Amino acid sequence: MTTVRRRLIPYFLLGPGTVWLVLFFVVPLIYLARLSLESGVVGNLEFTWNWSNYSEALSLYDTQFVRSFVYAGAATLLSLVIAYPLAYAIAFKAGRWRNVMLFAVVAPFFTTYLIRTIAWETILSDESPVTEILHAIGLAPGGHVLATSGAVIAGLTYNFLPFMILPIYASLERIDVRLIEAAKDLYSSATQSFLRVTLPLSAPGIIAGTLLTFIPAAGDYVNAQFLGGAGNRMIGNVIQSLYLTQADYPSAAALSFVLMTLIMIAVVIYIRFAGSEALMGEEAK
Amino acid sequence: MRRAAAIGLALAALALALSACGGGGGIEGGGSKEAETVKLEGKPSGSLTISNWPLYIDKGTVPAFEKATGISVKYIEDINSNEEFFNKMQPLLQQGESGGRSIFVLADYQVSKMYKLGYLQNLDKSGLPNVEKNLSPSLQHPEFDPERSFTVPWQSGMTGVIVNKETAPNVHSICDLFDSQYKGKVDFLNEVRETVPLVMKCEGVDPGKATEADWMKAIEKIKGAAESGQIRRFTGNDYARDLTSGDAVAVIGWSGDAVQLEADNPNLEWRMPTEGCMLWSEDMVIPTGAPNPTAAEAWMNYVYDPTVQANIAEYVNYVTPVEGVKPILAKRDPELAENQLIFPSASFTKKCSPTPIIEGKEEQNVIKAFDSVLNG
Repeated sequence: MTTVRRRLIPYFLLGPGTVWLVLFFVVPLIYLARLSLESGVVGNLEFTWNWSNYSEALSLYDTQFVRSFVYAGAATLLSLVIAYPLAYAIAFKAGRWRNVMLFAVVAPFFTTYLIRTIAWETILSDESPVTEILHAIGLAPGGHVLATSGAVIAGLTYNFLPFMILPIYASLERIDVRLIEAAKDLYSSATQSFLRVTLPLSAPGIIAGTLLTFIPAAGDYVNAQFLGGAGNRMIGNVIQSLYLTQADYPSAAALSFVLMTLIMIAVVIYIRFAGSEALMGEEAK
Repeated sequence: MRRAAAIGLALAALALALSACGGGGGIEGGGSKEAETVKLEGKPSGSLTISNWPLYIDKGTVPAFEKATGISVKYIEDINSNEEFFNKMQPLLQQGESGGRSIFVLADYQVSKMYKLGYLQNLDKSGLPNVEKNLSPSLQHPEFDPERSFTVPWQSGMTGVIVNKETAPNVHSICDLFDSQYKGKVDFLNEVRETVPLVMKCEGVDPGKATEADWMKAIEKIKGAAESGQIRRFTGNDYARDLTSGDAVAVIGWSGDAVQLEADNPNLEWRMPTEGCMLWSEDMVIPTGAPNPTAAEAWMNYVYDPTVQANIAEYVNYVTPVEGVKPILAKRDPELAENQLIFPSASFTKKCSPTPIIEGKEEQNVIKAFDSVLNG
């Protein structure tokens, strides 16, 4: 009796999550897949295995795909460069300020994403002091900052930065300080002990952080909408306008699938390259 | 091996699900159906739901209507774009439902399209004596609805140029917006039916007689300006933000906004393009399956009372379609009554063109080309 019950418990625990995912992820995904293979105009859509939606989507919007991945890549790299020293400082140097600093990292979430992005419109507008400074140091070549690719990348970096900081912090914080001490005892320099002990041990955080930043950034459209100008639209903007302005549901659905697939491929290659044990930490070994 | 089999099985199941689900893929389009005429039932009463654009009515009119008629009104400001609203409602309309709404307010070209799809009802003019009496003569016989059998104009307006007098004093035409001294400081509207015809006018083409090639040529010109950085960005109403922050010095914009912007900021000014403007109106329509059409017509009739309309005109600052409003406003606010943007004279709009109607394959191609410019 008890063994049967024990065997059933995992299924009970999985139940709610599974139901939720099937209902709100798998079912819509199947509908989307079906839609992406339909042809005709709204009101008269027919399921015809119309694969040309895919080839057309790719050939018409390849620029926006490349642009999305470049923007997301740049934002991820910038986030990493900003986040790592910060997370390191919070984990090892903050002392009693640690909680305050962690709170400061999370604090932006108390305001909605949209409002924070629109605030950047004001910060970067042509006559703001920030733009004047950037202009003075030669960082505004086109004469303005807002409505350029730089502004979109800056917005993406800002908005997804906490997703980079928190996982890196979590993995740094778990490091057993005695390992670093041991490295020093064995005559390694500060640089050596960082490169050979701290950095490898924090790799799971880096990998989780880059994924959490890159994936949503590649599909984002809010930043390009508000901070970008003509010629800075990302693939998310294209999908949005195909759905809502042109009512070309099949092409929009096909584009969504292409985006998902490309991201998936990128992620798989990345994890293969970085090694899955790095993502899972010690447990995977 | 077992894993491969499982994946194969999953794929087969997915293919099956794809071809099985959704059943109702091939719903018939409306199209050939003859539009029905609304059925009026005695004295208007009950409740009424209206969908309109944001900030398109003063605060007092709805409560006053409720008090005068006993009808309770749910006034929703959920229309932000003709296309988006249509695409959201379309699945319901296809099934002969209106989402509980009795009145939509949408642009000429949009209602014309919906009427052809069988989504709108003809109006019963016996319920609309004020409209018969007060509708502005210039709006009585539009091409898409010559007898006004299914539409009643809500407001009209002009699309032209709004500039900052200090930073762009010499912009007087659409062609001037392409002047490289304003590089990166010009916003264009993201509305294909307004932006592209205006650029055609700059090229000397009459939008009413334009061929698909004319559309494409104008779109190419816009594309060039977007790629060179001349056009800062494509906007909706948000050009107002760029003008007030100084990010843009000249934009393609709407007359009603211009009245507001001029009032808030003395440096901003409407410029009637030397090539002329675009004229448009948005119409009240009753969708098929609309509950309580009697109350809906009562509303349409009510807002065509010049005293009621004067309150709306005073608030929204677009061109009112109702005759007899000007003398009322002249007493209240003489300056407003003299404003050419609210009561344009025939000579003021002499060179303006109505929103051109493009349809079918041509429309699809044009929208696709313009959208690819928007998406850069």
